[in-house]
Amino acid sequence: MTRILLIEDDIETAEAIVAELAERSFEVQWAPNGIEGLDHARTSHPDAMIVDRMLPGMDGLTVVEALRNDQIRTPVLVLSALGAVDDRVRGLRMGGDDYLTKPFAIVELVARIEALLRRPTENRETVLVAGPLELDLIERTARRGEREIDLLPREFRLLEYMMRRSDQLLTRAMLLEEVWNYKFVPATTNLIDVHMGRLRHKVDAPGDVQLIHNVRGSGFILRGRQ
Amino acid sequence: MQFIRSNTFLWALAVAATLALFVVGLFAFVYRELDDYLIARSDRMITTQIHFMAGLPRDRRARAVADQLEQDSRHVHYAGLFSARGARLAGNIDRVPSGFDLDGTVQGVRLDPLETAAGRSPIVRTVGRRLDDGDVLVLGRHVDETREISSVVGQALALGVLPAFCLCVLAGAWLSVRAQKRVEEVNQRVQRIVAGELRERLPEGNADDPFARLARIVNGMLDEMETMINALAGVGNDIAHDLRTPLTRARLALERGRTHATTLAQLQEVTDKAIAGIDQSLAIVTALLRLTEIENNRRTAGFGNVALDEILREVCDVYEPIAEDKGIALGVVIDRGVQVWGDRDLLFEAIANLVDNAVKFTPAGGRVKLELKSDDRTALVGVSDTGPGINEQEREAVLRRFYRSDKIRNTPGVGLGLSLVAAIVKLHGFRLIIGPAPGGRVEILACTARESAARRMPISDVGSGKREVDVMATRDALDAGTCRMSETEFRGVTPSLVACASASLLKPVSRFEMWEC
Repeated sequence: MTRILLIEDDIETAEAIVAELAERSFEVQWAPNGIEGLDHARTSHPDAMIVDRMLPGMDGLTVVEALRNDQIRTPVLVLSALGAVDDRVRGLRMGGDDYLTKPFAIVELVARIEALLRRPTENRETVLVAGPLELDLIERTARRGEREIDLLPREFRLLEYMMRRSDQLLTRAMLLEEVWNYKFVPATTNLIDVHMGRLRHKVDAPGDVQLIHNVRGSGFILRGRQ
Repeated sequence: MQFIRSNTFLWALAVAATLALFVVGLFAFVYRELDDYLIARSDRMITTQIHFMAGLPRDRRARAVADQLEQDSRHVHYAGLFSARGARLAGNIDRVPSGFDLDGTVQGVRLDPLETAAGRSPIVRTVGRRLDDGDVLVLGRHVDETREISSVVGQALALGVLPAFCLCVLAGAWLSVRAQKRVEEVNQRVQRIVAGELRERLPEGNADDPFARLARIVNGMLDEMETMINALAGVGNDIAHDLRTPLTRARLALERGRTHATTLAQLQEVTDKAIAGIDQSLAIVTALLRLTEIENNRRTAGFGNVALDEILREVCDVYEPIAEDKGIALGVVIDRGVQVWGDRDLLFEAIANLVDNAVKFTPAGGRVKLELKSDDRTALVGVSDTGPGINEQEREAVLRRFYRSDKIRNTPGVGLGLSLVAAIVKLHGFRLIIGPAPGGRVEILACTARESAARRMPISDVGSGKREVDVMATRDALDAGTCRMSETEFRGVTPSLVACASASLLKPVSRFEMWEC
């Protein structure tokens, strides 16, 4: 069972997160302040951590920094009400692996935790495979079975990102940050949907088994395992 | 008598006392030097005289002594010729002073003159010699001249220094009182400002002293703060007003769901509506925070050379599918590659916002065009479309937070897009130009990176004569709110952009309404 340590001082928020993660078969340990959280992290070695930034006793980023100084490389998702670019950058620089601004959708938090736990290893593969899909990173070509798929550069990048994380929920925010390198919320909120629609149109031809799925209100999944 | 305890007065007193001490010290030094000089001169004189008289025949010595004393109109000379037994032969000294060395060295001794003022037995520089025939010759010279001189100088000094000292003290007192008054007045006005009278200002006066200059700077700062506080108050109202709508929607949906929903599907539908309302509220808050973050970001840590042409291509790449979905042709025309000094992400955000607006408000079948034109000094990014455009009455209003034209009430958005663009443009020291309707056209006029790197540049076409303007100072000036500057004033501080006005890049100025943001 995957063990997650949550360091969050707000009891209601903590309860909601614990309940949601427990439903998804995670074993969650909760610490209400930074000092206790740091002790738990050092002694119980969780698989991932969710750390609120503003904590009583010890600031969340100080906790993360202390762990990194102890050479503990546990993936950390930083939660914070401070959403300015500078704050995000600081959170990541001090050892956080991902940063989520409050208020957040619970599904976003779960998707990011899963992404942290199943981080694709930066292997030297030159061809990615997910079900019938093949992506040649050298030739910059995509195939589905025998059919060649003609992709624009942005679509190629999007598909590569999804194939490296196949069978994993990818939220719109994650796609914006990782594929489009957006550091702000775009004015047009259906930007991702439009691009994804075009990609899906090319990947899932009429009669093909659908690979790219829209998860209502959450994001998208590329199902490699049918 | 508070001024007596004031620093200004105490300093003036200290300076006056120091000056007086210095003058007295100088006088003491001059007196000592003068005294030494006169004594040395007197010693040389009597030594020469005694040598001369000692060389005279015995029968002429008494006459010589008498002659010398006769010629002494100031009565400063003493002389005495004594026999070997000590009997006075000539001169005005009663006897040889006791303990007096007759070796020809000059000594200060107390003489017994024949005629002297009551009780006066002066100390005189005296030289004595026993002559070859056993007689004793004693010559002396009174050196009280120096004391007389010092007395005269001392009187002059007293007459001069004392009034000067008093004058210094009076000047100190006057300055102290004056400064005290000004500080008191400033204190009172600052207290009024603290109490909430934001229109109160510090007294500047007509003088051009540092105090007046400081008051002018502080008043400028207060002007800026008053504007910002008023704007903030307005924004507070806007936020309250604009958040009410989505929150009301969410509340109504939840209320109706709680009362009427009978199935899980109905409840989910209600929840979705409520979440949408809350999401819109959050979008407003996020956009406002983003706007504040940009407006307050005075640091240019993220600044570097940014290729504008790459940004335009990337924005086009992002929005091309969306435009295509709406049946709009989106194209990009790049004159040549150009770099500007700025924050890549922010410039991307600004241009993306302009394109987003253009695509959003252009009807199906229309066109949206991105353009980049540049010369060595300036770059012009243009976003034009075949939509309704922004009419003249709304050109200033569209830059205000939360402004939503009646024509676009039903389109998605929170009315912060152009405010955000304006803030980013202002941060970079660029200009935002809104073209006239029909058809939308918004332009960003920027300095090239090379132009920004030039720390100083001559103004060739502004004002009278040539001046030099610091580019960074220009950016700071723009940052500090040139929004309220007139076109003329604006030209006075932005030479590179003035050059643009006459550059071939721009369409005739009459076609455009320019807004400094």
